Amino acid sequence: MNPNAIEIRGLVKRYPAFTLGPVDLTVPRGAIYGLIGPNGAGKTTALDMIFGLGRNDAGAIRVLECDHRADEVALKQRAAYAGPDLNFQVWGRVGKAVRFVRGFYPGWDDAYCAELMRVFDLGAQDRIATLSFGARTKLSLLLALARRPDVLILDEPTTGLDAVSKRQVFSELLKAVEDGEHTVLISSHGLTDLERFADHIGLIRQGRMLLEGRTDEIVERYRLAEFFTPDGATLANPAPAGLTILRGDGNRWRALLDQKSDAPAWLEAQRVQNLTLTRLTLEDLFVALVKEQESGQ
Amino acid sequence: MTPAPKPVVIGPISPAAGGALYQQIVDRIKREIAEGRLAPGAALPSFRQFAEELLVSVITVKRAYEELERDGIIFRRQGLGTFVAERGHDRSRAAKLAAAKELLRDGFREATEAGLPPHELLDLARDILKEKK
Repeated sequence: MNPNAIEIRGLVKRYPAFTLGPVDLTVPRGAIYGLIGPNGAGKTTALDMIFGLGRNDAGAIRVLECDHRADEVALKQRAAYAGPDLNFQVWGRVGKAVRFVRGFYPGWDDAYCAELMRVFDLGAQDRIATLSFGARTKLSLLLALARRPDVLILDEPTTGLDAVSKRQVFSELLKAVEDGEHTVLISSHGLTDLERFADHIGLIRQGRMLLEGRTDEIVERYRLAEFFTPDGATLANPAPAGLTILRGDGNRWRALLDQKSDAPAWLEAQRVQNLTLTRLTLEDLFVALVKEQESGQ
Repeated sequence: MTPAPKPVVIGPISPAAGGALYQQIVDRIKREIAEGRLAPGAALPSFRQFAEELLVSVITVKRAYEELERDGIIFRRQGLGTFVAERGHDRSRAAKLAAAKELLRDGFREATEAGLPPHELLDLARDILKEKK
């Protein structure tokens, strides 16, 4: 059995002002995968391509062995999408939206739906138009989750949710993947949440996958390094790949260090002094990596 | 039907506490074992169940279990689950002592750097022990 739920290879989508890719993306089966990146990096475009919203210019997308074009129907039965643009207002009330959507999906789980209504504090008689933004987000999640899809794709699922609601959502997502067969792909800016809940992370910037892998390995790989150059010496220029200077103040330096690169050996050869390494949160790391790009390295 | 195993409760896991989340899980489980609340042979939840309960990613729990297994504190039986090892108690205690030694070393270094001579350092240690009581 293929260990991956989603495999994207060499995906390219060209717009007049923006090109996504070529991008590879691999989501292991049973994982919660967090797709992160600055605004406009191409996250939503990538998710749209999976569901055939717009035609890709090159590359292959496979979801549970289904090709996203040739096996489109099978893919759409097994994968669900929830995003900020979904609008359920035409159904008037929550219960009507639920009845409408459930009719399309044989795998719909009524008991689970009722449980989610309770957890997300939604009532069948609630008017969708008067729901808060957060409650509408929860409705969108509910309609996707209650289908019990094998693959769940969520675009910004926690936007507008308060801290308690966010926990409820992630708790449900952890339950959804508990059997190791169900998979969740989330695009989000909630890096603190993803660091805690996501097994895998992919960082997209300017349409390219910058790094992808296990969240813990990515976070462990980088350190914030602070060090001093010896008196009278300056830091050799350019710094090697894997060392991004964030700040230099006289002989005192601060840099992002990739511990898997040649940079640690290079620092030693430079005879830097008082080297301290500090763990970064995923959010700190994200900011440093995006900054690296802006400075043109 | 066999009765459901008693749920395993460990100390809280939080990004606000020190260290990586998986390391916190390792430490909390060691503490449960060292203090006898988890006996040899006791079953641990599957890592997916535990992830759901602790609200952390599956990989985080998996990594914690792998580390505990490597240290011989827990063991896995294919298809049956994960259990506290016979010698888990001794090894957890040994691990806690090693950690304590490391912390004392750090503490003594800080005190020495602050200019505290060795005999006053021992006085300080005694004071701290008294506080605890």
